[in-house]
Amino acid sequence: MNKISKKSNSGEVDASLRVPLLALFGGAAFWLVVSSVLAMIASIKFHAPDFLANCPWLTYGRVQPAADDALLYGFCIPAGLGVALWLFAQLGRAPLRGAIVPVVAAKLWHLGVLVGLTGILSGNSTGFAWLEFPRAGSIILLFAYLLLALWAMMNFAARRERALFPSHWFLVAALFWFPWIYSTANLFLVAWPVRGVVQAIIGWWFAGNLLFVWLALVGIGTAFYFLPKFSGRPLQSYYLALFAFWTLILFGTWCGIPPGAPVPAWMPVLSSFAAVLTVVPVLAVAAIAWQTLCGSTNCEPKGGPFCFIRFGLMSFVLSSLMLIAMACPRISQVTEFTWFGPAQTQLQLYGFFAMTMFGAIYYLLPRAVGFELPFPKLARLQFWLSMFGVLLFIVPLAIGGVEQGMKLNNPNIAFMDATKAMLPFLRTSTIGLLLILLGNSLFALNIFAMTFVWEKSLVKKAFTVVTAPLEKPSASASLRRDQGEVKV
Amino acid sequence: MSDELKSNISQPPDAGPTASRSTVPIWIILLTLLLLFLGAVYFDRHSGWFDKQVYAPYTSADELASYQPKSGEASMLAHGKAVYETYCGLCHGSDGLGKPAQAPPLAGSEWAAKDITSLARIPLAGLNGPIQVKGRDWNLSMAPMGASLSDADLAAVLTCIRESWGNKNGAVSADEVKAARAAISGHPPAAPNSPK
Ligand code: HEC
Repeated sequence: MNKISKKSNSGEVDASLRVPLLALFGGAAFWLVVSSVLAMIASIKFHAPDFLANCPWLTYGRVQPAADDALLYGFCIPAGLGVALWLFAQLGRAPLRGAIVPVVAAKLWHLGVLVGLTGILSGNSTGFAWLEFPRAGSIILLFAYLLLALWAMMNFAARRERALFPSHWFLVAALFWFPWIYSTANLFLVAWPVRGVVQAIIGWWFAGNLLFVWLALVGIGTAFYFLPKFSGRPLQSYYLALFAFWTLILFGTWCGIPPGAPVPAWMPVLSSFAAVLTVVPVLAVAAIAWQTLCGSTNCEPKGGPFCFIRFGLMSFVLSSLMLIAMACPRISQVTEFTWFGPAQTQLQLYGFFAMTMFGAIYYLLPRAVGFELPFPKLARLQFWLSMFGVLLFIVPLAIGGVEQGMKLNNPNIAFMDATKAMLPFLRTSTIGLLLILLGNSLFALNIFAMTFVWEKSLVKKAFTVVTAPLEKPSASASLRRDQGEVKV
Repeated sequence: MSDELKSNISQPPDAGPTASRSTVPIWIILLTLLLLFLGAVYFDRHSGWFDKQVYAPYTSADELASYQPKSGEASMLAHGKAVYETYCGLCHGSDGLGKPAQAPPLAGSEWAAKDITSLARIPLAGLNGPIQVKGRDWNLSMAPMGASLSDADLAAVLTCIRESWGNKNGAVSADEVKAARAAISGHPPAAPNSPK
């Protein structure tokens, strides 16, 4: 991060977002660390099964979903919403009005995550993958999301720059997507559960839409903003981005039902059909990134925000291809019920989405708050830690998962032998998680230090204003201006 | 690290991102069409066209139907065979050849070729005393082993007897059994010479 560039309107826009963004990202950074600590605990249990086994709150069956949900609901979604708020305000050159509402909504969201995680750890999970949060937590989350999305949409409607940029489509769609799928899944699975195999179908549909479609909409929408920024070239091109958008939401929604699902054949077949067609938006995104970056004039130091986003884009392509592979019956026969799936999910959630968000936040937060990153070197170090961490996690588990699947399918190999053969891969993945934990801590450190520095400056300024001699008109003028800026 | 708010420091304007207007490349449209075509073929072959009965690994309603038991006489024979094994096979044998000093054969028996009322009378009312089957004398007694069977089940088992082991005497319908049951109600067990 070399230089903070801003123009006067942009400064006003940034100032209006300061407090909501700090509220969203601060909590997100906290849950990010929580999630990697929980993931570490879960992973250690593979090597030492009696580790923390006496504490019911920390048994594997609770820690593992809690870690997943803390990453998805604790970090990914609020980070994505914060970035979306900033992108709308920047692209539309319109400051956020009534910023107190998003601040309250952000706090509410993080409260919902707290309630949800406590629910899981205390044994009150609903038992549906990615929907484990008990009812109270989900209701708070949905309400908080609606408030944030409403404010983002109001800001979008009030934009001064009327022309739409491709990021707009992706982000607007994402704002509507989540309430739709989250409320539907919660109504049919938690509130008034449907019966029998329909539950599993709704669960798969929800997970596919959240993990693939929602994350892709927000992550790719964000990347499309930053690609031209960093490369100094226009996005290649507007129409291809539109094409990627429509094909993504058209085919992405149908994915998720695994080929081996015990449901009428047309459902998994349709799902595989749609999954294979999502090759189209994935290739379109790859082509856009490739063409935009070719001949780029970017000379950013290694490990800066753009490295995160570039790595995120590569992970997007790879994780999507893994997802598509798992939807093909032949491949799924091997990879289903193995570690290949968790490896893919981690690449999607962390390698693609979280990394993209890190890059975006490292870029925009200093602009919004008005300070350089407190520890820019640590931010760069985080890039390497997170990148190697995610690689050390997914590469062994993906390879090991294929091996595990072939062993499970071989009737001459005992189940225990197939399972034990996974241990070396799992050990490596634990090291990966450790690196991720370190990286996440550095991210949280930067965000918390940033918040602290900003709060300190507020106190300091208030102090100078109070102690300044009263007759100086400039001081009171500055007081008014500062209040205007600081007020939320 | 900076200690002051920098928001009022003037800096170069932050230009918004731009996008080129070049068209969508033709290869990706062709790829989409190709995948749509292949996907449609795959769907056609494997989906069973939204039939709620078709589950993997089966791929169509026709394929499922080919595994279903056949309808009409074939299914009646299969059903009758099952009833026969439960109620009659113990004495008359799965092969219909009967058992020495236990029960006479049914395969090739002239009794199986009699009219339906006479035949139905045996399992419905029993059979006592000396009889001739395929030229040999038997003098045993059979209890009314089929009296508790429903019309459909008895019709099936009689069809089985008349159409198996080389017998070719035609099928028996449930209505015919019903009529026979009514005709013999109240009559004593079939006597050796009464069927004639
Ligand atoms: C307990 C053994 C036993 C069972 C079970 C039994 N039968 Fe018989 N069946 C006999 C005997 C014994 C005779 C010969 C009676 C006689 O000598 O008068 C006989 C005779 C017959 C005859 C005439 C002779 C022939 O071989 O053609 C028919 C027809 C017949 N049984 C049909 C049935 C049917 C149908 C069933 C099943 C519902 C059945 N039986 C079950 C013992 C049995």
